[in-house]
Amino acid sequence: MSALPNAITDLISALNRLPGVGPRSAERIALHLVQTDSTAVKQLADAILLARERIQFCATCGALTEESPCPICADSRRDGSLLCLVERAVDILSIERSGTFRGKFHVLGGKISPLDGIEPEDLRIAELEKRLTQEPVKEVIIALSTDVEGDATSAYLAKRLARRGLKISRIAYGLPAGSGLEYADELTLSRALEGRREMNQ
Amino acid sequence: MHLAHLRLRDFRNYPRLDVDFAPGFHLLLGDNAQGKTNILEAIYLMATLRSFRGVGGAQMIRHGQKGYFAGGKVVGQGEHEIKMYWSARERNLSLDGRPVKKLTDYLGTLRTVVFCTEDLQLVKGTGRVRRRFLDLLLSQTRPGYLPLLQRYMQAVRSRNALLRQRAPDPALLDSFSEQLIKLGNELIQARRELIPKLSPLARLAYRRISHDAEELRMEYQPTVKSDFTVELAQSRAREQSYRLTLVGPHRDDLLLLLNEKSAAQFGSEGQKRTLAIALKMAQAEYLTGIHGSAPVLLIDDVMGELDAKRRAGFLPLLERTRETSGQVFMTATEANWPRELGRELQRWEVNAGTLQHARVSVSGGRP
Repeated sequence: MSALPNAITDLISALNRLPGVGPRSAERIALHLVQTDSTAVKQLADAILLARERIQFCATCGALTEESPCPICADSRRDGSLLCLVERAVDILSIERSGTFRGKFHVLGGKISPLDGIEPEDLRIAELEKRLTQEPVKEVIIALSTDVEGDATSAYLAKRLARRGLKISRIAYGLPAGSGLEYADELTLSRALEGRREMNQ
Repeated sequence: MHLAHLRLRDFRNYPRLDVDFAPGFHLLLGDNAQGKTNILEAIYLMATLRSFRGVGGAQMIRHGQKGYFAGGKVVGQGEHEIKMYWSARERNLSLDGRPVKKLTDYLGTLRTVVFCTEDLQLVKGTGRVRRRFLDLLLSQTRPGYLPLLQRYMQAVRSRNALLRQRAPDPALLDSFSEQLIKLGNELIQARRELIPKLSPLARLAYRRISHDAEELRMEYQPTVKSDFTVELAQSRAREQSYRLTLVGPHRDDLLLLLNEKSAAQFGSEGQKRTLAIALKMAQAEYLTGIHGSAPVLLIDDVMGELDAKRRAGFLPLLERTRETSGQVFMTATEANWPRELGRELQRWEVNAGTLQHARVSVSGGRP
């Protein structure tokens, strides 16, 4: 069956390592690329190389950026007293898209997971503590996932970061906006009930 | 609730099977090793995604084939179509033509209770068997129990991984303990509420099928006696030597007492067997009570082990199943099938991976 030239099978196996690309898609993309005009392919290759060379992690917050510090860290109009703690750099994009948060970010780089051998030292907690001493942060908002590891990491951080004059909060979990109760699963609903708020008259 | 159609491909000794089942009582007759239990196994598999024989998927594939297919139509509140395919490389499960993404959305489509010789482990086996019995019943009746249990077990595994480290960070251990306690307390609460409802059902069932006058009592035996937080802290020294989380719902047990004495220790073989069946009957009755319709009963050979008088204890449950247009599947050999049960039963002859309808009404003609 291996009638394909080696160059193509190498390309297929390289593509296959990308997230979301299975063997079938890898083969289709590879066969498409080798039959495409070579300038277009070169543009793609250059774009990949250039992006990889330019993009780095922000030394302060850990976001993906072309320059360090990143535009968010460098933006003096953003509220430096609010610091939102997220798991991965891409989570910043989700929160930014919501357009409601005007503070700064800190990327943790994961969550504590003894089963995967991820310990506090593997995360950017020391960097966070350093920032707390250097920046005028008044509130840390923890925006980690709500699975067991996310919950335990949040509890751990709440204790470890505790210091005078610093508020530590966690984003609420509950119903998805715009949907009725009938679509929420039981666990979400019971957490939403636990996290209910008094309504001001 | 009943299974209206069953389709098998390369499942155990069935190369191809397409068969319609009406509600009511189905007797699968045949010699040994013809494939009677395989039918029950397939139905149970569709309900729970597990084999009651405790084997993995590979063992259910017909010899020499790549994968099996099991599917069917369930009629309960509405009609549902189940399709599952299993091979070493590929697993597919779909409900009404849509792939199943979350287990909790699927389980409950078909509810079954199986009676088989392995049930004896409920009495003789370790606490794990009884915990699984309780967990299965709670998952089938209490919304949110299954995801809660999954989260709790994840917390246990994470905490154990921490305890196995040379010097676990105490602050980190505390954070996972907090999760363990919060989720664990909800599990304990759910189990604590179940037992008083289940125990009288089991006691009645036992009384019906036993000749003797012993009283059955079930007692929930949690490892946490009153305060999880305190007791977890107290177990810290032992945890350090075992490197395991030693208290919590994952170590709970269910005590089975006959006249206030442990059935596992002091019961006779016959009593243990009766007790195992009584537990399953209680499970079926409880499910019927909660859902308003009987689960599909799968009875594998156990009736043959009982004498006619004990078998008679089954009749009320079977009667109830018929009233709520439920369904019973029972395997037997020609020699040992309980003839007194036959009123409107449908006989099937099972022969080397084929199923043939032999619609004979046994005791005195059809109405």
